[in-house]
Amino acid sequence: MSAISELSSITRRKGKVTPEEKKANRRDNKAAYIFLLPWLVGLVAITIGPMLMSLYLSFTDYNLLQPPEWTGLHNFTRMLSDARLHNSLRVTFTYVLIGVPLQLGVALLIALVLDKGLRGLPFYRSVFYLPSLLGGSVAVAILWKQIFGTTGLVNQVLAMFGIQGPGWISDPSTALGSIILLHVWTFGAPMIIFLAGLRQIPNMYYEAAKVDGATTLQQFWRITLPMLSPIIFFNLVLQIIGSFQSFTQAFIVSGGNGGPSDSTMFFTLYLYQKGFGQFDMGYASAMAWVLLLIIGVFTAINFIASKYWVFYDD
Amino acid sequence: MPLFPRPANAAKKHAEAPNAGARRRSRKAGAVAAAIAAVMALSACGGGAAPQNADGTVELRFSWWGGDKRAQLTQEAIKQFEAENPKIKIKPEFGDWSGYWDKLATQVAANDAPDIIQMDEKYITEYSSRGALLDLSKYDIDTSKLDEAALNAGKGAKGLTGIAAGINAATILANPAVFQAAGVPLPDDTKWTWDDFGRIAAEITAKSPKGTYGAAAYGTDEASLGVWLRQNGKSLYTSDGKLGFEPSDISEWWAFLKELSQKKAVPSASEVVEAEAAPLDQSGLATGKNGMAFWWSNQAPALEKASGGDLKILRFPTKTGSAADSELWYKASQFWSASSRTKHPQETAKFINFLTNNVKAGEALLADRGVYPNSDVRAAIQPKLTPADVKVVKFIDQIKDELGEAPAPPPKGAGAIQEIIKRYTSEVLFERLSRGMPARRRPMR
Repeated sequence: MSAISELSSITRRKGKVTPEEKKANRRDNKAAYIFLLPWLVGLVAITIGPMLMSLYLSFTDYNLLQPPEWTGLHNFTRMLSDARLHNSLRVTFTYVLIGVPLQLGVALLIALVLDKGLRGLPFYRSVFYLPSLLGGSVAVAILWKQIFGTTGLVNQVLAMFGIQGPGWISDPSTALGSIILLHVWTFGAPMIIFLAGLRQIPNMYYEAAKVDGATTLQQFWRITLPMLSPIIFFNLVLQIIGSFQSFTQAFIVSGGNGGPSDSTMFFTLYLYQKGFGQFDMGYASAMAWVLLLIIGVFTAINFIASKYWVFYDD
Repeated sequence: MPLFPRPANAAKKHAEAPNAGARRRSRKAGAVAAAIAAVMALSACGGGAAPQNADGTVELRFSWWGGDKRAQLTQEAIKQFEAENPKIKIKPEFGDWSGYWDKLATQVAANDAPDIIQMDEKYITEYSSRGALLDLSKYDIDTSKLDEAALNAGKGAKGLTGIAAGINAATILANPAVFQAAGVPLPDDTKWTWDDFGRIAAEITAKSPKGTYGAAAYGTDEASLGVWLRQNGKSLYTSDGKLGFEPSDISEWWAFLKELSQKKAVPSASEVVEAEAAPLDQSGLATGKNGMAFWWSNQAPALEKASGGDLKILRFPTKTGSAADSELWYKASQFWSASSRTKHPQETAKFINFLTNNVKAGEALLADRGVYPNSDVRAAIQPKLTPADVKVVKFIDQIKDELGEAPAPPPKGAGAIQEIIKRYTSEVLFERLSRGMPARRRPMR
C-alpha cells in the first residue's frame, strides 16, 4: 500500500463511509491478503499444520510406518514412570538454570567494558559477536569436541602445568559442564542488545550521580541496572526459551546419544531419539507438547516476576 | 536489462480505468497465488508422480551405509548394472551408520523411502513386520545359489524381505605391528581363553608407549555380548522374540570389562566413549593405538586399508581354550531390501537380482559386504579378490566346523540395543553403577 492511499484512508475515516469506499476497502484487504499469502501458506503448511498434527499424534501410538492408533492420555501417563525422561528434564533444567544466567552475566560484563568507549569498538564488537554466529553450528560443536577431548587442546595446556585433565566431554561428570560452557561462549547476541541498551541510558544521570559523589559501583547498581532492566528482561525471556529448545550442541558433542551415560541427554535429544530412533513418534509428540507447556510456564513466571524488578522509564 | 521485463502492453493496461484494472489485477494475482499454493502443497506431499521419463527410463534410489571404500565399490557395481540396463538409472544415497537409521525412518514415514534399501538384521523385523518392505519372493529373483542359512536370515512373517548381501562373522582383529613393538607374540586363536585375552592385552599396554592399549573395549555394540552369551549357553534373543538371558549372565560380562579396564588392558573410560564416535578409519585399530579390537569380518579389508599395514583376523577367545567352543555364527552382514511402496518393483527386483547373482556385481563389490552368499559368484570372483579379501574368505571358511547354532533373529525394537549397551558400558566404566546393577535394570524398553 502506498503512502498516499494510507493517508487517504485516514481522511476517509473522518467522513461517512460510502458503499463505494467500502468496496475499495475490501479490495485493499484482499490485496493485503494476497501479499500475505506466501507467508500464510508457510505458516499453515510448515508451522500450524504440523503442530496440530503433532497434537493429534501425541494422543496416539504412532510408529512412523503404520497409521497412528488413538491411545488417549497413555503417552502422558507413560512419562510419569519414564526414568530417562526425568533424567533428561534434570539435564535440561540444569543447562537452562546455570547456562542462561551465566551467559547473560558474561554478556553484560563484556557490554559494560565495550561501552566504556574502547578504541576500535566495532572490531571488538564483531569479534565478540562471532561465537554467536558460529556457536549453534555443527562445525563448532565438532571443534568443541576436539578442544575438550582427552588429548584435546585444554588437556594439552593443562599438561604443561603437570595436570592430567579428564576427558571433559566423555566423562559423565563434566560433559554437561562443557556444553554449558559452549552455550556461555555464544554470548554475542545478548551482548549486542545490552550494548544498544546501555547507549540508551541518558548520560545526565551519570553526570548528576558523579556530582553527588557516587562511586562507579553505586552508579552501576542505582542507574545502569534499573535503566537496563527491560533489556535484561527481554534477553532473559529469549534466552530461556531458546535454551530449553537447544539441541544441536548436545547432539553433536555426544554423537547423538546424549552420552556418556545420559549425562547430556537433553529433553529435545531424548525426544528425537524416541521419535526417530525408536519409532515412538506418538510419545515424542507428547514430549514436544510437554516442552511447550514448560516453556510457556517459565515465560509466564518471567512476565509475572517482571512486575517486581523491571523498571520502565516512560 | 531490467530484472523483471514488463510485457509490452503493461503500460497500456495501466492507462485503463483504475477500478477495472485493479479488479483484473487482483483476480490475476489470486489465480497466481492459488497456483503457487497448489504447487507448494503438492511438492510438500513428496513422491508425486513416478520418476519415469518420456524416453522410458526409470530412476531408482538406492541407499546404504558405509565408508569411502564401500561407496567406490558400490558405484562401480551400479555402473555395471546401468551398462546392462540402459533404461534403469540408479541414484545412490549413502552415509555413515550413525545417521542412516534416523534418515531412513524419516524417509519411510514421509512416504519417500529409497527403492533399494541396505538393511541390517537389527532393524529388518522392525520394518518388515510393519509392512515397509517388499516381499521379494514374489518377484523374479533367483535364490537357488544362495547359502541356505543366509537365505533364511532374510525370511520373516512377511515373506522374504531381505536378501543377504554377504556373510560375516564376529572377529577380533589384531594389529601385528603393535604386538611387535611391544614384544608380545600373537596369540594362538584356536586355544586362547578370555583370561589369555586380558593378560595379553594388559601386557601390550604395559610395554607400549603411553596412549596405546592392548585392546579396544568391547561393549559398544551387541556382537561381543552375543558371543559371550552363547559361550555361556544363553543367547541375545529367543526365537519367540524375547531376551535370551538373565541379569546375572550379562553382569558377568560387564564385570570382566571392568576388570580389563582396571588393569589397563583397554583404554580409559573417557577414551572408550570418545572412540565410540570415531568412524572406522579413525578407530584405535586403524590408527595403531589398539593392539586388538572387536569388528565384523567384512570390515577387515577397510580397516587394513585405513591402518596402512597388515591385520590378522582372530577367533574370539573361549572359556575352555578350545576353538570348538567359540560358538561363532554366520551372520548376514547386510540385506538388500526393497521399499514396499516402490513404484517400480520389477526394476528394483532386477537390480537386487543383479547384485545377488551377477558375476559383474561380485567383481565390483568383492568382499566388502562380507563373503558372497552366492556360491557361483563366490567362486568366480576368487581370482579378483585382494589379499585382504582373501584373508576374510579364508577365515570364514576356517571356522565353518566350529560354528554354533544359528541365532534367533532380533525382534522388533532390537534397533535400540546398541545404544542401551553403550550407555550401560559407560556407566560401568565410569563406576557410576555397581557392576551387578546395569543388568538388573531391564535393558529392553
